[in-house]
Amino acid sequence: MDRVSTGVAGLDAMLGGGLIPARPYVVSGPTGAGKTILAMQFLAAGLAHGEAGLMVTLDEPPNEVKANVVAFGWNLDRLKMLDATPDIKAHKRQRSVIDVGTTMDVRDMDQVGEIRQSSQIRAMEVSVHGIQKMLKQEFFQRLERTRERYKRIVVDSLTALKMFTMQGEDSRVMIQSFMRFLSELEATTLIISERLNPKILETEFFLSRGEVRFHKSLDGNVIRRAVSIEKFRGSKFDDRVRPMSISTAGITVDAQGVMAMTGGHLAALGEEYLEQRLGDEVTNVIESVLKMIEDAHRARIAVTDVEHAVSRATLQLQRRNYQKALKAALHARSVVQERLEKARAGPPPPPPSASPPAPGVRR
Amino acid sequence: MMNGKIRTGISGLDRMLHGGLVPHRPYIVSGPPGAGKTVLSMQFLLEGVQGGERCLFVALEEPPNEIKQNMRAFKWVVDEVEILDANSDIRRFEPTPVIEISTEVEPMRMRQVDERIRKTPDFESHEVSVHSLQQLLKTLFIKRRYDRVVIDSMTALKYFCMREFEESLTTQSFMRFLAESKVTSLLTVELPEEGVAPPESFLARGEIRLHRLRDESGIKRFISIEKYKGSSHDEFVYPFEIHSPGIVVQVTETGTAAAA
Repeated sequence: MDRVSTGVAGLDAMLGGGLIPARPYVVSGPTGAGKTILAMQFLAAGLAHGEAGLMVTLDEPPNEVKANVVAFGWNLDRLKMLDATPDIKAHKRQRSVIDVGTTMDVRDMDQVGEIRQSSQIRAMEVSVHGIQKMLKQEFFQRLERTRERYKRIVVDSLTALKMFTMQGEDSRVMIQSFMRFLSELEATTLIISERLNPKILETEFFLSRGEVRFHKSLDGNVIRRAVSIEKFRGSKFDDRVRPMSISTAGITVDAQGVMAMTGGHLAALGEEYLEQRLGDEVTNVIESVLKMIEDAHRARIAVTDVEHAVSRATLQLQRRNYQKALKAALHARSVVQERLEKARAGPPPPPPSASPPAPGVRR
Repeated sequence: MMNGKIRTGISGLDRMLHGGLVPHRPYIVSGPPGAGKTVLSMQFLLEGVQGGERCLFVALEEPPNEIKQNMRAFKWVVDEVEILDANSDIRRFEPTPVIEISTEVEPMRMRQVDERIRKTPDFESHEVSVHSLQQLLKTLFIKRRYDRVVIDSMTALKYFCMREFEESLTTQSFMRFLAESKVTSLLTVELPEEGVAPPESFLARGEIRLHRLRDESGIKRFISIEKYKGSSHDEFVYPFEIHSPGIVVQVTETGTAAAA
């Protein structure tokens, strides 16, 4: 299967060669982690291969985007910028509000000048619909002009789009429709999105066909950067967190590098739940062993060693060594079970005056 | 078949389920994005196809052409699985005719699925609502007898197709509909990476949960049975891996759970 290079060799290696074309992907991570840089590198790599690229900017005005990438020395002159930043909010009533989609502002990167001044008479606002219309128009105009379709699209960022334009539950349907729209354009799309809350399931994360996630943590006074692939449909991928750096050459990922897991949140995915499950499991086994030990006491069977094993298991449980705890507990259970069965099968215990078995005692 | 149960297509999972799934009931497969829900569901359908059963995959998250491509990574013959494209088109913002899915769409065999994505027509768009999907499935179930059905995903159905409906009630009624239709169905549910499971889990007869855990050596995957009405089942959390033959659950003889 053909793959689309992200422009970062190390990341391509992690992806098993690159992205599967014509699908939308999510790039996530905290602010300043390198999401926009990756997006620009992705577009630059396309341009270098003669693939047309389009950047839809909602977060920063085009002139700032341009200024920010000068340092990397990529040739982005032919990159199309679609300015979808909203105007200063109109607080005065007399200014009419128009949708950003009604004015087409798509231009080559080298044509990007000063920031667009908010108009005094009308205020531009951004809507998904407006952006979609603008994108579609540009896409097909280009197809007519040059018989060439956009191969790579970046939306920077969906977080902004959501904040500006979507409120309430409808945003799910809007994102679904927007992603469907991007899929139908058959361009490889990077959607930048900040993960605001891992407890909330955001539409773009489960609808995207893959997720590249950036991590940033403070180690002493050094910022450590890392990247991971969280999901990638239809392909194998490297599932480790790999170290990366940002230099004048852009993003470099060390696809062989090992990242020490220092940051708590890196390791925390789902751990809490599993820990609780395993903990419950061990507790259940220990409880059943304790019951059997009681039975054994009643039947006057020596189980001191089992008692020791159980206390060892309890200790391991407290130390959160679940595997060892479980092993010890399971061992104790099999030993005590065996003894109880042997006692039941063999002659009754010598002193018959022992208390009768309590009601409800199992086995 | 073992004590009337049907196999899931994953031998380790069947052992965890003490033989497999009780037929004609809806089950939940839950897990965070990228955990392997779609792969598990597809294996469930393939097992059916191999036994000469009629199987339907209802796609609500991804277009069928992509699902077909994704399944090429596995050494499976998915040709006979039927797939119903229940992805909504791009929404119209102008008042143009909206076609309810129930009037138009027919499932296709996987082998007939086009390589390219279906395009939203210019002057009308298909919209999938839970109501129309249910109608459509009802008609299909009357026309031919499906044994296994996968809804991928219930979350998409809830997020995108229940705009005018009350979510829990509608979900419950949809599951009731599947149960009455006497199909064995798997409904996938997306879980957030942290936090609590959505209420769908409480409504099904059983829940298979997939877990994803990161550590230094990469992503570890685990599987557990959270609930299974009418049958005993394994209580442990087992590790699993996704290889080219599909999901492989490492169920150990001693029943020892793997380390977290």
